Amino acid sequence: MKPLVVIGGGPAGYVAAITAARQGKQVTLIEQKDLGGTCLNEGCMPTKSLLASAEAYEKIKQAEQFGITLPLEQVKINWDGVQHHKTTIVKKLVQGIGYLMKKNKIKVMKGEASFLTNHRLAVQNENQVEEVEAEQFIIASGSEPASLPFAPFDGKWIIHSGQAMSLPAIPSSLLIVGGGVIGCEFASIYSQMGAKVTIVEAADQLLPGEDADIAFTLQEELEKKGVAIYTSASLTEMQPEYKTALFKHKEELHELQVDYALISIGRKPRVLGLGLEKIGVHFSKQGIDVNEHMQTNVPNIYACGDVVGGIQLAHVAFHEGTVAALDACGKDKNVNYRAVPRCIYTHPEIASVGMTEKQARQEYGDVRIGEFSFTANGKAMITNEPIGKVKVIVEPQFNEIIGLSIIGSHATELIGQGTVMLHGELTTDVMEDFIAAHPTLSEAIHEALLHSAGQAVHS
Amino acid sequence: MAAEVVMPKLGLAMKEGTVSTWNKKVGDSVSKGDMIASINSEKIEMEIEAPQDGVILDILVQEDVGVPPGTIICYVGNPNEQLTEQSRSANELQAPKNEVAATISLEEPPVNATPSKKSKETVRISPIAKKIAESENINIETIKGTGPKGRITKADVEKVLTERASEASYSPSEIDTSSIKKETLPVAGMRKVIAGRMHNSLLNSAQLTINMKADVTDLLSLQREIKDVIHQRHEVKISLTDFIARAVVLSLQEHKQMNSAYMDNEIHLYHHIHLGMAVALENGLVVLVMQHAEKMSLVELAAEIKTRAADARQGQLGTDRMQGSTFTITNLGAYGVEYFTPVLNPPETGILGVGATEDVPIYKGDELQRRSVLPLSLTFDHRVLDGAPAANFLGTIKQYLEQPILLLL
Ligand SMILES: Cc1cc2nc3c(=O)[nH]c(=O)nc-3n(C[C@H](O)[C@H](O)[C@H](O)COP(=O)(O)OP(=O)(O)OC[C@H]3O[C@@H](n4cnc5c(N)ncnc54)[C@H](O)[C@@H]3O)c2cc1C
Repeated sequence: MKPLVVIGGGPAGYVAAITAARQGKQVTLIEQKDLGGTCLNEGCMPTKSLLASAEAYEKIKQAEQFGITLPLEQVKINWDGVQHHKTTIVKKLVQGIGYLMKKNKIKVMKGEASFLTNHRLAVQNENQVEEVEAEQFIIASGSEPASLPFAPFDGKWIIHSGQAMSLPAIPSSLLIVGGGVIGCEFASIYSQMGAKVTIVEAADQLLPGEDADIAFTLQEELEKKGVAIYTSASLTEMQPEYKTALFKHKEELHELQVDYALISIGRKPRVLGLGLEKIGVHFSKQGIDVNEHMQTNVPNIYACGDVVGGIQLAHVAFHEGTVAALDACGKDKNVNYRAVPRCIYTHPEIASVGMTEKQARQEYGDVRIGEFSFTANGKAMITNEPIGKVKVIVEPQFNEIIGLSIIGSHATELIGQGTVMLHGELTTDVMEDFIAAHPTLSEAIHEALLHSAGQAVHS
Repeated sequence: MAAEVVMPKLGLAMKEGTVSTWNKKVGDSVSKGDMIASINSEKIEMEIEAPQDGVILDILVQEDVGVPPGTIICYVGNPNEQLTEQSRSANELQAPKNEVAATISLEEPPVNATPSKKSKETVRISPIAKKIAESENINIETIKGTGPKGRITKADVEKVLTERASEASYSPSEIDTSSIKKETLPVAGMRKVIAGRMHNSLLNSAQLTINMKADVTDLLSLQREIKDVIHQRHEVKISLTDFIARAVVLSLQEHKQMNSAYMDNEIHLYHHIHLGMAVALENGLVVLVMQHAEKMSLVELAAEIKTRAADARQGQLGTDRMQGSTFTITNLGAYGVEYFTPVLNPPETGILGVGATEDVPIYKGDELQRRSVLPLSLTFDHRVLDGAPAANFLGTIKQYLEQPILLLL
């Protein structure tokens, strides 16, 4: 089969490369930095490693409640140790990708790729330029943090998420501009580790894409850990020389001096520098335009992952990469966004799939809501994590389960059940006789479903 | 217990029946004998009645989708009755036990249900897609699934619904390009059969039509004279059509070439006369067949025609009564049509079109008289016979009609 080149070694790119290679293609993958992309090196994995450390610390501090006596005053976070745990994991995972490349006979080239024609690329590595020709291409160049026009990243005080995870020490104070997923995850990490965190969010709630009550529960929990949260607030000025930020909240101007200002206002698709304009691939600031097979307007060129905009999550990138590769190999594959779980690894965790209550009401008018609180769940009490709830949204005519949101311990694992329900297009009657193991957190999901039908047992 | 209403088998040859309209929806209450649906087969339209009092528990067959005879089309039962999985899966089994065929008298008993190609139980479909399909009366066997392994998803069902909606409403693009509104109707059931047959007829034969008029003044007075007697004795109201039918039968006996069929490059001459007669129904037309019309007297033939026509209008005509005609008569007289071009009912060689009688002044010798004339149009297959023998045949019909006493013999 004709050669195929993948640009970018993140989740979209490496999965596309492996998939195409398994279809018998001769595949080359070009990556300018490390394999694994944002996800492994500066995103999903390192943040989750930091969170795990923060949570372990949190748990240890609760030792007394579990009947364990510790010299609590001696329990401290060893930041180097935390970083070591993180880098070891990242290194292992990156090696793992390298191994997969070898195993699938994928040639990996280091350098920055840019199109010369729609069949030829220039790959620049330091001062060397090499040209690569191929029949087909898959662009998976990912995304990068968006910056504020009046506050460009300097890496010293104004930082982005990639820099925020490798700070030399736990900051004593941190301003987070943007209360979205990334902002809230960092707020959770650093507040648990003892930093004084402030969030400034322009929308009227944290996590604007999620249910208001769920977001509000998180806000309360973060505030308990000392996080100052300003919603409907806007940053007006940054003064790096004084490490001072000015923002407006309810007509009032606030001045804040912090160790670092993390800007997490979203990520922009990496569309520039690829020479797309030269070969006529349609794109905008929102990303590269693709059809349902992840194919661009230039038929031999595909694009997938964060670079096409849309839902910027690693598992979506995996799926899109698979679709792009299979379609390029003649398999006529379509993307399927039927049920994409959204996970936020804060403390407590938040996970959802399908519609939020607001979206559901817009679409269906009246909807049925079923809820069950973890305060009434045995397992949550045992583990001393009774915060949060399960909320299910049911369409009233046929009882289709159209949304599930969970806030609470292990929400990101529990949501898998909701993903199956939405993917399978299940209705609540299908779930009535479902048996959840006891005691588990999963029981809360079952109870919420029963509650939506007015049959809850334990509430 | 819920009664299953099945697609009846209207004759041995029936392969498929279609519910053309559901008069009831799920949840509607019905009394025994209520019309619940109209169905049509390749040949015929008929009404289905509720077999018992109750409510429509479930509708399993969507409108305009053909299903084999014996397929359960709906359930009638008590309002809060639950349909068991067993009863639901009955469509898969042969000859459901508590099957209540629609309450009509059938020419033949329903034979065992042929299992449909893709039975409902094996259709891969998501629970919500199934519910929507059921509530919208979409036969899930007809939906193309785009999910994993062809699983039918909600989106697939919604696609069918939008297609349905756009079929039913005017197409906006047409409105954009012109102010003329169009409506599209599906060509299904009987319409489909008629469309196919008539088109093939014209494509596959060499049709020629000749016209002649017959003076039926004497015939009409004879009819007036004898009709009461015949009605008293035989309970048959004898009509002009019956006389024409008899004239045709007698003429066919004299002109054997016209009582024939062109099949496989051969001309088949028949010794018997199965006289076909086209009857317009509300939604199409059927051809009644009076078998061995040559053995019947005028009165017997008239009685046979009346019975068959009534059966057809009630949808109770067996397919054997619609097949095997050797020559057909079609009558548009009731609509005021004079002459027209009948289309052959293949593989027959001839078809006689009958127009409306008209009173006209005619010279009898030197005398101008008021006479009733009947326009006749004969279409014949020129591959079988030429103009002259066809004209002779039509002339014979004319003679019989003009000397009606011969028809009584
Ligand atoms: C802090 C943070 C936390 C996150 N947490 C999660 C999470 O928990 N769960 C989740 O699902 N998602 C998470 N994400 C999002 C996830 O990381 C991205 O959706 C995912 O990495 C996108 O994959 P990708 O392959 O499209 O792009 P990327 O991972 O960005 O990979 C693109 C790769 O292409 C390379 N590249 C770009 N241009 C060129 C070029 N011209 N030549 C050669 N190479 C090039 C880049 O160096 C990069 O390695 C997180 C993101 C961040 C920033």
